[in-house]
Amino acid sequence: MNSDVQQVTNFFNTKRLRLSIILVIFGLAYIGASIGLGFQTQSLLNVQAGIAWLIHNFIPNEASQGYWNEIIQQLFRTFIVAVASTTCAAVVSLFLAIIGAQTLTPAITVSWVIRCLSSLLRNIPIVAWAMILLFSFKQNDLTGFLALFFMTLGFLTRAFMETIEDFGTEKIQALQATGATYLQVIFQGLLPEIAVALMTWILYMIENNVRDATLVGLLTGTGIGFIFNLYFKSLRYGAAGLVVLSVIILVVAVELISNLIGRLLS
Amino acid sequence: MLTVKHLAKSYDGEKKSLTDVSFSVQPGEVTVIIGPSGAGKTTILRSINQLIRDDDGEILFDNTDIRQLNRAQLRQARCRIGMIFQNYNLIEPLTAIENVLHGCLGTKSNLAGIFSIYRNREKEEALKLLEKVGLAEFAYQQCRNLSGGQKQRVGIARALMQQPKIILCDEPIASLDPKSTITVMDILRDLATNDGISVLINLHQVDIARSYADHVIGINNGQVVFDDRIQALSDTAIASIYQKDANSEGSVVHEF
Ligand SMILES: Nc1ncnc2c1ncn2[C@@H]1O[C@H](COP(=O)(O)OP(=O)(O)OP(=O)(O)O)[C@@H](O)[C@H]1O
Ligand SMILES: [Mg+2]
Repeated sequence: MNSDVQQVTNFFNTKRLRLSIILVIFGLAYIGASIGLGFQTQSLLNVQAGIAWLIHNFIPNEASQGYWNEIIQQLFRTFIVAVASTTCAAVVSLFLAIIGAQTLTPAITVSWVIRCLSSLLRNIPIVAWAMILLFSFKQNDLTGFLALFFMTLGFLTRAFMETIEDFGTEKIQALQATGATYLQVIFQGLLPEIAVALMTWILYMIENNVRDATLVGLLTGTGIGFIFNLYFKSLRYGAAGLVVLSVIILVVAVELISNLIGRLLS
Repeated sequence: MLTVKHLAKSYDGEKKSLTDVSFSVQPGEVTVIIGPSGAGKTTILRSINQLIRDDDGEILFDNTDIRQLNRAQLRQARCRIGMIFQNYNLIEPLTAIENVLHGCLGTKSNLAGIFSIYRNREKEEALKLLEKVGLAEFAYQQCRNLSGGQKQRVGIARALMQQPKIILCDEPIASLDPKSTITVMDILRDLATNDGISVLINLHQVDIARSYADHVIGINNGQVVFDDRIQALSDTAIASIYQKDANSEGSVVHEF
């Protein structure tokens, strides 16, 4: 009995020791990184001065109100690019995910190829996508669309594939047992079951892409990102602040709408 | 009707899950397979409609070996073999009537199946079957809102939609309360007696087997250890079916 108690005590001691070691490692990592970057911890104390400057300059004033028209126009364009790229990518992703999911794949090599492809697409940062595509497609909306499309394709293929695999084989087999064909099983069994999950992923991705589209626009010289860059470089800070504000409003609105749709679906 | 000969199956190529299983099933009879957990009951049932590819043997359904069929022929054969499951395996967001109509997918063209284009005759049949299992007023309910017993009855209606010659049931009552158990077993019994369908059921409850079965097959460690009329199922026979086998590593455990 006593040795049992001892064992529990030992268990907790080991656990505590492990936690302490992890904390020490994080501490050392921070110190190491500070030294490496020449970053001084006390400079954090001056952060408030920087923030005060930001507030002073970026709060939109009367002069910046004249920019609303242009901002809303560009915001709308950016939004359309984000939605279009997400929905196009979703259609292709669903197809790839079905033939790539381990439970439905026609051949295990197909599954492997799709897995690798989606991992590749997903792991190239959006900024890199935009830069690469700029070479061939120059500065226009198509470049931004494609950059978002490829990244989303990689992400959604993976997400859909996992959704399908979680769905399991039992219900698929139950329909196969009635003599249903592959396509019938997918349309009558799989899709109705996973429809809500797919919509949730797509809405999440639209939110995400509205944000990313701003960044991509900055590089490809289109949409809201472009005019932010323009105002900023020409020292029209008030107008630039207005752009930031409008992007925040849009992202929050998209999130609210997608929550609403999500609740209606389930 | 159905004759299984020398069926063998190993999942990993090493440990035998079935070794030389032979039995046959008569039309209009309820045949029950009993045996300890891990004995191979599910493996037998799923081999019959080839959801599992077995390794060796013969499965004669209407005098043709199901194991030798090509894809299209297998699909044809599956149309006449209904199946119901412990966890129902309905498409939960769809309504009861849609799930029942899934039973005739096997006889439809790809496109008609994909777009749910059913003939009037099929719609009538589906409604009739829902009435038969006592769920007429639930036709347009989503299956996720039905109780376990109701779901299983939708499962039975789906199987009947196939106009099956045989229905395979893998522990159909294991997740049900006593009242639903009786409802479901009564329906299955009735299908055998009055519609001449062969009903093959995996069961864990010997007392249920006693009140509903015509014929019993006892499986232990992948082998048939009992194959006789229900009247012959003595207590010693039961004990030997559920006996822990010396050379199986603890997988054979009496469950209740
Ligand atoms: N997919 C699988 N992969 C590997 N081994 C499996 C698989 N399915 C079953 N087995 C093994 O095959 C043997 C028979 O399993 P089976 O599911 O047919 O037993 P059962 O009689 O249906 O048991 P239970 O009463 O618990 O449902 C078991 O030893 C099991 O471990
Ligand atoms: Mg089983």
